[in-house]
Amino acid sequence: MIWGLPESKRDRLFFTSLIPFSISLLSMLLLLVSILFFNSIESLSAYGSSLFAKTVWDPENSVYGVLGPILGTIITSLISVSVSLILSLSLAITIAEYLKGYLKKIVSSIVEFMGGLPTIIYAVWASEYLVPFLKNNVMKPLHTSLPFIPLFSCRPITGFSTFAAGVALGISTVPYVASIILEAYENIPLIYREACYGIGATKYEAIKTLLSLTKPAIIAALILGFARSLGETTIVALTIGNSMTLTPCLFAPGYTVSALVASQFANAFLYQHAESVLYASMLVTTLISIILSLYASKLIIDWRSRVVV
Amino acid sequence: MCSWRRVRERLFKITVFGVAILALTPLFHLIMVVFINGLPTILEAGLEFFVDLPPTPLSRELGGIAPSLVGTFLMTMISLPITIVLGLFTAILVTEFPKSRLSILVDTVAKSLSSVPTIAVSMAMFSLVVVLVNTIPKLRAFLNPAGSALTGSLALVIIALPISYTYFSTFLRSVPATYKEAAYSIGMSRWAVIIRVVIPVVKKSILVAVLMTMARIMGETAALLFTAGRYRNGLPASIISPVDAIPLLIFDYILSPFEVWRRVAWGATLILLLFYMLIFFVVKVVVKEVKLL
Repeated sequence: MIWGLPESKRDRLFFTSLIPFSISLLSMLLLLVSILFFNSIESLSAYGSSLFAKTVWDPENSVYGVLGPILGTIITSLISVSVSLILSLSLAITIAEYLKGYLKKIVSSIVEFMGGLPTIIYAVWASEYLVPFLKNNVMKPLHTSLPFIPLFSCRPITGFSTFAAGVALGISTVPYVASIILEAYENIPLIYREACYGIGATKYEAIKTLLSLTKPAIIAALILGFARSLGETTIVALTIGNSMTLTPCLFAPGYTVSALVASQFANAFLYQHAESVLYASMLVTTLISIILSLYASKLIIDWRSRVVV
Repeated sequence: MCSWRRVRERLFKITVFGVAILALTPLFHLIMVVFINGLPTILEAGLEFFVDLPPTPLSRELGGIAPSLVGTFLMTMISLPITIVLGLFTAILVTEFPKSRLSILVDTVAKSLSSVPTIAVSMAMFSLVVVLVNTIPKLRAFLNPAGSALTGSLALVIIALPISYTYFSTFLRSVPATYKEAAYSIGMSRWAVIIRVVIPVVKKSILVAVLMTMARIMGETAALLFTAGRYRNGLPASIISPVDAIPLLIFDYILSPFEVWRRVAWGATLILLLFYMLIFFVVKVVVKEVKLL
């Protein structure tokens, strides 16, 4: 009974009749990853690890290096996670602890609404309003007051930058991260809360204790938010400024892997290896994203079996 | 001591409230600016906005977004039923046999699939079509390497399937075991229990899952970048000719240097936002008691 087939004959028939549907899911994942893999072999064998060690995009001479976009992907995702941590933690606490009745319902509905909003709408808003806002109110002051810090060393010219892309991504992942934190927080058994108030804790002290209990779930939510930011295309492609440079400065235009693909893939077939290089960098991003999200969901399951039940 | 605790309490509450409001501000600002920028475009273009072709870069007329509307409609109509059927039956298998290895595998695969970047799906789909057409020329009758509604829809199915599966399995799991036990005890078979007991109990939730999946399909951009064809100079002749979609049009036009294209992009954004609001409104009002994920 390798696949855990059910005992009775009728159940077995039922089980086997459903197998084709579930095979569809399995085959999709296998097909996706293997297509990415087979298309990247060409460039991986031509360039080896040097592909990930430098930052060049020179299709005319077929010289490629995608270190810049890969670092850009990681940095934007890190900024995104930090932004969404602050915002979504407060949002989750507000919904869980301070709001009641209708107000609570309305605010949770708003969060759900944000969660399902097509990313292209966020992208439009971010590129037209958030980028100039950040440029004038965050990037310029930081640059003029702290120019000696390498992160803020360059003058923001257009505003389209790694920093802006990270913040825009962060705002768009808030509902996703907040809903995971909220679910975990509200799943904490009542006895913990009663114990806190029983020894005379104030609300702040109780929240602090309960949050420390939810810590593994919060970390998992952040990893999931990070993984989601890794592959996000639309928002990043319209806010990061698309430039193949490697600089420590956050206010300069950059690239992420998905933004690179979005802008170069259509013409890549014209040049030798270009298409394969894009497949290889996307393969790396995809694998990181899959591994992180599986790890995070395992964290949540472990946490739930330890604390909740 | 006691007063410090009270002050801290206040400070904490104010900070948390402030940041929570900050977290929601982008949404309100976003809706506001989409209406401010999109409404004039639609009012000026009038009904033509829904039946005309997009303008040329230097044109004085606003034109319309008909090809994108048709493309989005066509691809939603093709991909939604496939996604729902596959997602629902997979969810039934997993919730009915939660202990079997196949179910555990399917659950893990669904999680992995939902974390695959959507643009990776687009690349893979593009490559698959090119390879298939080159090895089996007869497939040209169905697959167009330049992109088509059919290819785009298949890419959308891959994106939406893990989402609809997650909705369905959550809803199916929420059916109390006692209902099913009662049905089994009067001798109903598994299929009968699912069709006569489980599905009726979660009927409204299924509608919610369908609508939310539809919202996701309509708003997807990256999966269509290399699969749909981005053809917006005319209406698609069939499901294997290249098409456009509303998000693709917005993506291409919003940062363009031509004023008229950017205005069309804002109009299209408003249309997309209104569609999404409508779906969300139906979900919230018609099916009040269902909790979303």
